[in-house]
Amino acid sequence: MASKRLLKLASGILSASLVLTACGGNNGNSGSSSSPSPSPSASSGSSSPQASQDTPTPVTLSIGYATGDPAGKKAIEDVLDAFSAAYPHITIKNLSETTSDSYLDWLKTKDAVGEFPDVVEMRDTKVFADAGKLAELPEELHGLFSYLPSYEGKYYNAPLSANAPNGILYSKKAYADAGVTELPKTYDEFIAIQEKLLASGTSPIVVGGKDLWHMGFWVNYFLISQVYAKDPDWNSKRTAQTASFTDAQVVQAITDYKELFSKYVDKGWLSTADNQTASILVSGKAAQLFSGPWMIGQILEADPNFELGFYALPDREGKTTVVGLPGLSGWSLSSEAAKDSNKVEAFSAFVKFFFDPAQYKTFIENSGSIPSTSAKMDIEANEIMQQVLAIAADPGIQKSMMINQWYGENAIPPQFRNWYYKLLQELIVNKGDVAEYMKQADAEYDSNVKANQQ
Amino acid sequence: MSASFVKTKRKTWWKDYALWFILPAFALYSVFVIWPTLSSINLSFTSWDGINPDIRYIGFENFKEMWNSPRVHNALINTIYLAIALVLLENIVALALAVLVDKVRWFRNLFRSIFYFPVLMSGIIMGFIWMIILNYNFGVVNQLLDAIGLGNLKTDWLGNPDFALLSIILSTVWKAAGYYMIIYLAGLQGIPQELMEAASIDGAGRWKQFRHITFPLLAGATTVCVMLSMIGSLKMFDQIAVMTNGGPGFATETLTYIIYRVAFGEGRQGFGTALALVLFILILLISLVQIKVLRKREVQM
Repeated sequence: MASKRLLKLASGILSASLVLTACGGNNGNSGSSSSPSPSPSASSGSSSPQASQDTPTPVTLSIGYATGDPAGKKAIEDVLDAFSAAYPHITIKNLSETTSDSYLDWLKTKDAVGEFPDVVEMRDTKVFADAGKLAELPEELHGLFSYLPSYEGKYYNAPLSANAPNGILYSKKAYADAGVTELPKTYDEFIAIQEKLLASGTSPIVVGGKDLWHMGFWVNYFLISQVYAKDPDWNSKRTAQTASFTDAQVVQAITDYKELFSKYVDKGWLSTADNQTASILVSGKAAQLFSGPWMIGQILEADPNFELGFYALPDREGKTTVVGLPGLSGWSLSSEAAKDSNKVEAFSAFVKFFFDPAQYKTFIENSGSIPSTSAKMDIEANEIMQQVLAIAADPGIQKSMMINQWYGENAIPPQFRNWYYKLLQELIVNKGDVAEYMKQADAEYDSNVKANQQ
Repeated sequence: MSASFVKTKRKTWWKDYALWFILPAFALYSVFVIWPTLSSINLSFTSWDGINPDIRYIGFENFKEMWNSPRVHNALINTIYLAIALVLLENIVALALAVLVDKVRWFRNLFRSIFYFPVLMSGIIMGFIWMIILNYNFGVVNQLLDAIGLGNLKTDWLGNPDFALLSIILSTVWKAAGYYMIIYLAGLQGIPQELMEAASIDGAGRWKQFRHITFPLLAGATTVCVMLSMIGSLKMFDQIAVMTNGGPGFATETLTYIIYRVAFGEGRQGFGTALALVLFILILLISLVQIKVLRKREVQM
């Protein structure tokens, strides 16, 4: 009997320890990437006026940013290293990690486990501002930027960069072979070039339609040049149901899109991924790609001798409007960190340091992006990139945004963009009627708006 | 009297004893599976975005939206179409392969391994491989067609809505058939040789033997295989996500794909959960009916 009781006890202990080991595994993982650092509570507790005047109070600032793009990741890491060297009293605790999750999911997870970074590269400002996770940007930083995005009248973000302008990346050789001597000044001239390319036996345009977001380049070219250029507030009117996708200018934009895609786009576009477009362009299978300056490096890497040209695509009247306003994203301070004045100070120091021309110039060059600051800088870049920067800096070229980049009143339901791009793919493969499809778009938009209000 | 007392006492003691072994697993399972599953039913009546602490109840709105959404209907049709096509094809191919490797005289282990290899691959990897094979510009299939002078048959296999779902089905059959082949093979080897001999003495040909002896006696294996392939095809996700992303347009979206897109891509956990609940009920119903029907035709020897 006694031995049985002993057995029972032992099995009880065994089962309990099994449960505990499972928990232990979890604990071990959660604290993985953080380096030993003074605890935040200790640093904030010791803040006294005299101490901060003589020697700055040591502060720990946790930071999180998107690491999906290797060039951008490296560029930020370099800035962080330089910042740590310049401000020895501020300890940067880097929480960023490369995961297979989307950046938004990663941030949500961090928030759920109570590790929301003090300084965060915010890409979904609406979501986190609505949830009360973000603090407003300190006043003193507003002057740094040429254009500051606001959400519901408040500034939350220090934009890392402006949106890069899109344009036609083309093979100079294919243009020469087709007898194209001049770049187009209007959209109709552009179409004439497509005809010449077809006649010369070259597939005119490669599109990476397998990646839905790649669809956005063309779709938004048409929407921007025919809708947003004249009415930047069109989205808010759509939400209020005073504008419709069946309006003449939208139908015209989508009809142009349909015609271009039916006639001049390389046949396999629906199964071509964005990352294959560079090699299709370089191999000479297609003559043009409509994308942004981040492709320049990829194309020249695939073939350093490739004769690449770039231009912004004008509309029918010859007016050019490009993507180029900064979106509702950038460095943000968490509302939790904003309660600690030392952290706010450290955050301001970080933002000033980050956007200091001496520092920011390197970041822009390394990440291949477009500056968002008002200070002038001489950026070293290749000839084509200089062209892009000139377009970005040219006040004569109107800047606009893609359908999903608008914010505040003009924000579209977040689920609408992908649905709309899919609808537009279906429009091409089914040779559908534009007006009919735009009616569906209206219905979906309204039901999305309704669903999000609940 | 005393005997029965001892008996009951022993019985409860045993129960008690087993409890300690079940408890850890049960506790973990409850905390990480049963409780989240049950609490998600609750979420399907909300408009939760997955992050906001303020969760709002909207009654049956999610289910109404589902009922009215052509996109969900399309996904449901695709799901059912996929399930039927995959269950039929996977089982026919698996059975044929099993009979083949059972009868083959040389290199039988080699063949078994070859047919089984695709199973070992993850769906994602397999999706990528087939995506490359079927690519319009660089893919092997189109290059082969070009090489043998059938260039006009070249098709954008994953970009043409008429072929996209078919391409996914065929590549999935290629991947999954080996697994069911093993189950059928085990069943085949359990069939006594004497029955076959008796049948052939009675003058039954190969087909008759298969039709009246082999196939009925494989009923147990069939139940398992049909069941597994049905569940597998109803929850198929990775191939679609990798190969077509639900496209072109909405052509290859299934319920699982929409659940993922809605809940995680669009930040509508509430609606996603409601969809998942519907899929759960669907799988549950189909599985119950299937088991009932298939169990009936199993025979005991």
